[in-house]
Amino acid sequence: MTAPVAALGGEVARAVAWVGALARFFVETLRAVPWLTRAGRRVAAQVLLRQVWFTALQAIPLLVVLASILSFLVISQATRELGRLGATELIGRLMVVVIVRELGPLLTALTVAGRSGTAIATELATNKVMGELNALRGMGIDPLHYHVLPRLGAAIISVFGLIVVFDLVAIFAGHVAASSAGMTGGRYYDIVLQSLTIRDVWLTAAKGLIFGIIVGMIPCFHGLAIRGRPTDVPIASSQAVVASILTIFVCSGLFVVFL
Amino acid sequence: MTTLPLRFADVILPKSGTRVSLEVPEHRTVSVQGAEESGVDALPSYALALTRPSAGQVFLFGEEIAMLPERAALAFRRRVGYLPAGDGLLQNLTLSSNVALPLRFGSDLSEREIRGRLQIMLAMVRIADAASLRPADATDEQRRRTALARALAFDPQLLILADPFDGLTVRAAAELLEIARGGESGAGARRAVFVTGQSVPARIEPRVDLRYRLANGELTIDT
Repeated sequence: MTAPVAALGGEVARAVAWVGALARFFVETLRAVPWLTRAGRRVAAQVLLRQVWFTALQAIPLLVVLASILSFLVISQATRELGRLGATELIGRLMVVVIVRELGPLLTALTVAGRSGTAIATELATNKVMGELNALRGMGIDPLHYHVLPRLGAAIISVFGLIVVFDLVAIFAGHVAASSAGMTGGRYYDIVLQSLTIRDVWLTAAKGLIFGIIVGMIPCFHGLAIRGRPTDVPIASSQAVVASILTIFVCSGLFVVFL
Repeated sequence: MTTLPLRFADVILPKSGTRVSLEVPEHRTVSVQGAEESGVDALPSYALALTRPSAGQVFLFGEEIAMLPERAALAFRRRVGYLPAGDGLLQNLTLSSNVALPLRFGSDLSEREIRGRLQIMLAMVRIADAASLRPADATDEQRRRTALARALAFDPQLLILADPFDGLTVRAAAELLEIARGGESGAGARRAVFVTGQSVPARIEPRVDLRYRLANGELTIDT
């Protein structure tokens, strides 16, 4: 009778412990920043650029396809339905709130988490199994400096940049959809721009930052947390992606509730 | 008075529970050999305070670095060259980038100076031809030579080698040990070398000044 309650309690306790450990890892990472030497910054910057190449630039084609299809479907349907009600002006608000502010950051973060989060967790877990992390520490190089900070920075830059790409492509795809339903380009862009507020911009930017931190930190945390057995690598990778996706959804919900 | 490069004081090894007390003096090559279950593989990690022993103390140049904050311990480790078991090379870097990594990260040398030094290091361990390979494409011997060059990047006074000869020919092992020792000075080898592993090839044993063996829960000197 009490078994389900105990099981639920166990899950909650594990979740709380996980949040605590992740928060401590994040704080440790931030505290490592001032200790990064000038020479170390050069190396870390190179790692960051490589990571941005993989995380952001190589993901652009996928994001363009997702943004185009999503926006085209939503706006073409909305134009038709709202047109019947004579409320086509609402397309602008729909575009800004649903796509630019909510789905753009959410889908971008999910894409990066699925694509690069797996890669980061797998790479770091493999590095640990191969003894590379101990070798780094043995050389006097902090793995937080060499592995974690560049990946965190790259994830923030990448998610932020990809959200901008997603939103721009989505707005353009919305224009195509609206045009096919008979709305002129000038009218469409007028509606969209009038609907865009400063609050939308900073909320989208804040999501870029928070989701970037999530996508950068959680895979690093899970990749480095393994005990060093090869069988732990796929587990770390899977846990990292699931945890990233869940955290992104939870944070997205918190944004809606509190902001 | 000179400071001992490395000293283990009543350190308890995992697996076997063996109590280890030994010193690595300046200019001397010291080896500890033992089977895997003897816990010998823990000694390099203890020496660098990468892990802490359950009991006992380890002094590196007179300093118990296990007691230092992690940042200070990281800086202290740059005084020591370390070749980890299985080489520990970063798989996404070329062999030459692996050798240059500690210099790029831990020194204020310009890129030009680093490249100059790199050429000398690569030539010294004879991997200049393979410098552009990634570790996965290199042979065991090339990887080991690379790891040794990386360990020597700062020309340390003490070199810690974990399982350095595993899978190498006797000739390659002898050559690596000579490079590690850094040639002869009036007092012996130019640097202190601490070698751990399951075995040291018999033909190069005469080049080791002090040979310890871990067996049956005891540390004994090989004569």
